[in-house]
Amino acid sequence: MDEQPELVKRALGGENSAWEELLKGHGRKIYNLCYRFTGRTSEAEDLTQEVFIKVFQTLRTYDAAQGAFSTWLNRVARNHLVDHYRRTRKDRLTSSIDEGDGQTAADIEARPSQIEGPMARVESRERRELLQAALDRLSPDMREAVILRDLQDLEYEEISQVLGVPVGTVKSRINRGRLELARVLKRMEPMRGQGTEP
Amino acid sequence: MTHMELENLVSDYLEGQLDTVRRVEAEAHLDGCPECKELVATVRQTIELCRSAEELEPAPWLVPKILRATIGERQATFWERAMATIRPVLHPRVAYAVAMGVFSFSIIINVAGINLRHIKVQDLNPRTWFYQANRNGHLLYARAEKFCYDLKVVYELETRFRQLRPQPEPGPGEAPKQSPPPEAPAGGSTEGQPPGVPQLALVQEPGFEIRNSKFETRNSLPRRMGGLRAANFEPPISSLEFPVSRFEFRVANSQIGPMSSPRRTP
Repeated sequence: MDEQPELVKRALGGENSAWEELLKGHGRKIYNLCYRFTGRTSEAEDLTQEVFIKVFQTLRTYDAAQGAFSTWLNRVARNHLVDHYRRTRKDRLTSSIDEGDGQTAADIEARPSQIEGPMARVESRERRELLQAALDRLSPDMREAVILRDLQDLEYEEISQVLGVPVGTVKSRINRGRLELARVLKRMEPMRGQGTEP
Repeated sequence: MTHMELENLVSDYLEGQLDTVRRVEAEAHLDGCPECKELVATVRQTIELCRSAEELEPAPWLVPKILRATIGERQATFWERAMATIRPVLHPRVAYAVAMGVFSFSIIINVAGINLRHIKVQDLNPRTWFYQANRNGHLLYARAEKFCYDLKVVYELETRFRQLRPQPEPGPGEAPKQSPPPEAPAGGSTEGQPPGVPQLALVQEPGFEIRNSKFETRNSLPRRMGGLRAANFEPPISSLEFPVSRFEFRVANSQIGPMSSPRRTP
C-alpha cells in the first residue's frame, strides 16, 4: 500500500490509468462493505458507484499524513452508507418482509466460484445468506463495527479513524456486536435446518 | 469474575488481549460456569464464520461503469487497440491455419531452391520453381537409390565371405552329414531350385578376387557407383586361412551391371 499516495497524486494529476488502478485495487473491498451493510447486490453496486464518484470528487481532500488511503476510503464509504441508511430507513420499514435479501438466483449464479463444486457453492451461499440475515438484525453501530473488524479485517485504530470514535468505544461496539450476532445466529440455526428464511 | 464481566471481556479474551491476571480469572470462571463457556464457544464460532465468509466478486461491468461515470469514456491505449486487432488471429483455428500456411510456404521455398536472403528476379518465375523442384526430386531419388545399392553391395560381400569360410571336416567314423533338402512349401514351387537355398549361393563366380592382400571386385557394381571405395572395412576373418588383415574394395570395372548379374567379359 506504499504506492497508494503516489497513485493518488498521479490520479490528481489527471492520469486516468492511476485512477483506474485505484478503482480496481479497492473496488472489491468497498463493494463487499456495501453489500454487508445493505444485504442486496443491486443496492451494493449502486452504492459502490456512488462512493467512488464521491471519492473522485473529493480526492483532493485526502491527506497522506492523516493515514492510509484505504482508511480514508473506508471512512468516505462508511459515511455514505450511514447517510444512505438514514435516507432509506423509512423505505425499509414499509417494504415487504417477504422481499428477501434482494439477491436473485441470477445474481448468485452469475458469479459462481470456479474452483468449488456445486455442493460447496451451495453451502457457501447458505452461510453467506445466514450471516447476512444475522447482520441485518444488528443495530447500525454494532453492525458496522463488526463488519469492519471481522469481515474487512481492519485494526481497532483504523476502525476508530473510520468511525470517528475512540478505540474504547470501537472495542465495546465490536464486543456487543459479536455477542448479539452470536445470539441471533443461535436463534436462526434451527430455522436454517428447516430450510426457512429468517 | 461475574457473568457480566466475562461477557464484556469475551472479545478481548478470544483475541488474547487480556493481561495475565484477567485471563486467569476468566479461565477460572469458565471452568465453573457452563453457560459462559457455551457463550464463549458461540462467539468464537461467530468470529470464525465472519472471517471465513468469502468476499463477493462485483459484477464485471461495475468498474467500467464507474470509470465512465468518473473520467468518461476511456480511450483505449495503443496496445489495447493492437491486441483488439490481432485477437481474432489468436483464435486456435486461425492460428493453426496460419501456421500450416507458413509451413507449406517454407516447404515450397525449400523444394524450389529459393534463397530468400539472395532472391533474384528469376526466382519469382514459376517455371524456375518447377525446374528446381523437379531437379531436387530427381536428386533425392538418385541419392536414395545409391544408398540402396550401397547396402546391397555390403550385404552381398558379407554373404560371399561366409561362403569362403572352410566347412568343418567330419570325423573319421562319421559319415558326412548331409542336411536334408528343405521341404518344398505346400503347393510346390515353379522355380527350378529349392526355396531354402539362398539366391546368392547360386552365383557361380565371385565378383571379386583376393590378390596380395588386396581385395578387388571385378565387376558387379553399377555404373553410377564407380570409384566406390570401402577402406578400413574389416569383415569377420577369423576363419580365413590366408593372412588378410585389411581389405580394400575397389571397383575394377565400373561399366558392368549390377552385382548379382553374371560377370560379363570386358
